[in-house]
Amino acid sequence: MAPITCKAFLNHLPLRMEGSPSPDADAHLRDCPSCRNVVDDLNAIHSVARSWSAEEAEPPARVWTSLRLQLEQEGLIRDDHKVERELPRSRGFSGWFAGLPRPALAGAYLVLLIAVAFGLSRPTNKRANEARWLEGTQDSTLPLNAQLTAEQVSFASFNDSNPVVTASLNKNLAIVDNYIALCEKSVQEEPQNEVARDYLYEAYQQKADLLAQMTERGENNR
Amino acid sequence: MSASHFARTQLICNRSLKAATLLVPGLLICGIASALPQPRRQEQHFKVQTHPVVTLHNPNGTITVKAWTKSEVMVISTRASDDVEVDAEQMGNRVDVSAHPTSDNVSPEDMRADYQINVPEDAELQIHNDSGEVNVANVLGDMNVETVAAAVDLEDSAGYVTIKTVGGSFQCTRCAGKLEISSISGNLRLTDIHSYHVHAQTSTGNILFSGEFLPNGLYRLKNYSGVIEVRFSPADSFDLSATSLKGKVNNEASLTPKAHQQHLYSRFGNSLFGTFNAGRAKVELTSFDGTINILKRD
Repeated sequence: MAPITCKAFLNHLPLRMEGSPSPDADAHLRDCPSCRNVVDDLNAIHSVARSWSAEEAEPPARVWTSLRLQLEQEGLIRDDHKVERELPRSRGFSGWFAGLPRPALAGAYLVLLIAVAFGLSRPTNKRANEARWLEGTQDSTLPLNAQLTAEQVSFASFNDSNPVVTASLNKNLAIVDNYIALCEKSVQEEPQNEVARDYLYEAYQQKADLLAQMTERGENNR
Repeated sequence: MSASHFARTQLICNRSLKAATLLVPGLLICGIASALPQPRRQEQHFKVQTHPVVTLHNPNGTITVKAWTKSEVMVISTRASDDVEVDAEQMGNRVDVSAHPTSDNVSPEDMRADYQINVPEDAELQIHNDSGEVNVANVLGDMNVETVAAAVDLEDSAGYVTIKTVGGSFQCTRCAGKLEISSISGNLRLTDIHSYHVHAQTSTGNILFSGEFLPNGLYRLKNYSGVIEVRFSPADSFDLSATSLKGKVNNEASLTPKAHQQHLYSRFGNSLFGTFNAGRAKVELTSFDGTINILKRD
């Protein structure tokens, strides 16, 4: 039996999480600590997601559309629903998380996206692994960074009617930019450092929030 | 002209003069009064039922909200100028208060409006104040406060509290319930806390937590830089995870190492994991390059 690659293992992952393991995947999992880590993380996500309240409000449909698009763009699911045709409807990632509340599922999908994106960067040796992790992080953050930078350019002369507000927003945007630069430096230095990557993603999220606030204010001031 | 006619003419003139003396100032007063702006202090009362909702949207000013025992909401607003107008209206069991400019190009100081609001203690609050201050005391209902630069000060709250500031600081004293606080550069100070769920995050601010770690409670404090300080008492019982990627972790708690420690971040930075007493609460402290202090409470 030829050993399967990590990427091939990821194709088996939805079935495995559904409780249908394959001998090839089992063999790979025995020999590959990184894939074991991914599976452990996913199991942890699954159990945490189950514990989240089922009474939370449903997110709007656009969240699901956006998640699906993002997963497709990352190549984690296919647009042609091939997997769904091959499997009963309850299979695949959606079947795997079937029965979970949708907000929990949304969180789980996002964490899954990150976990699998990093899982794809496999170790064959330390240097190659770090390069791939770094590449993975950059692949994930570059489009976001470009989008946020473009957004920020339009706020070069942001000026709220209240100078205290203007000063605070500009000051905090500079803080977040500095924070992003330092996190990026850390990720460059230690590509496998999950803490640094978490902080980097959070910094981007904060920047997006700030720019959204500035956009809203800019529109209201017009 | 006869003497009697002269005298009568003079009498009429004198009377007219007297009348004019009274009438002109009177007319002047009336004219000035009608030209005067509306009073800048306004007091309004709204009868409400249980669990009323009070929303307040204000650009700049000091907002003070206190609970009282009456089933009504009282809004006292004080405007800094006539360039700002305060609207307070009731829709069912909700009272909406907002300030808006009456003309273009109003200066921020002229846009200022201060409020003193009294609400039933079970009221739910939704407050948005860009700059100034927000002070809330003894309100036990849920509340959501969002500010840009305004500082937020809570006392004796008990509901589900969500606070979001950009640069404003946050202080909470004797708060219970569920607390979720986020800021970019504001300092977060949580003292005498009796909450089962605290999630506090600031990028460059300091975080102080001094309170009880309730059984099954979750306490998650995170910053980028600055100091995270947690003060515990000998009777507390918690499971601790503290990680500072580039900074230090200082600990005064006698922790028992966990038998099967599994943590995503344990490979990086300065980390500390362990159990204090029975480990009934969960405490997670994370910083990027700040210092984490776990200190005994005096």
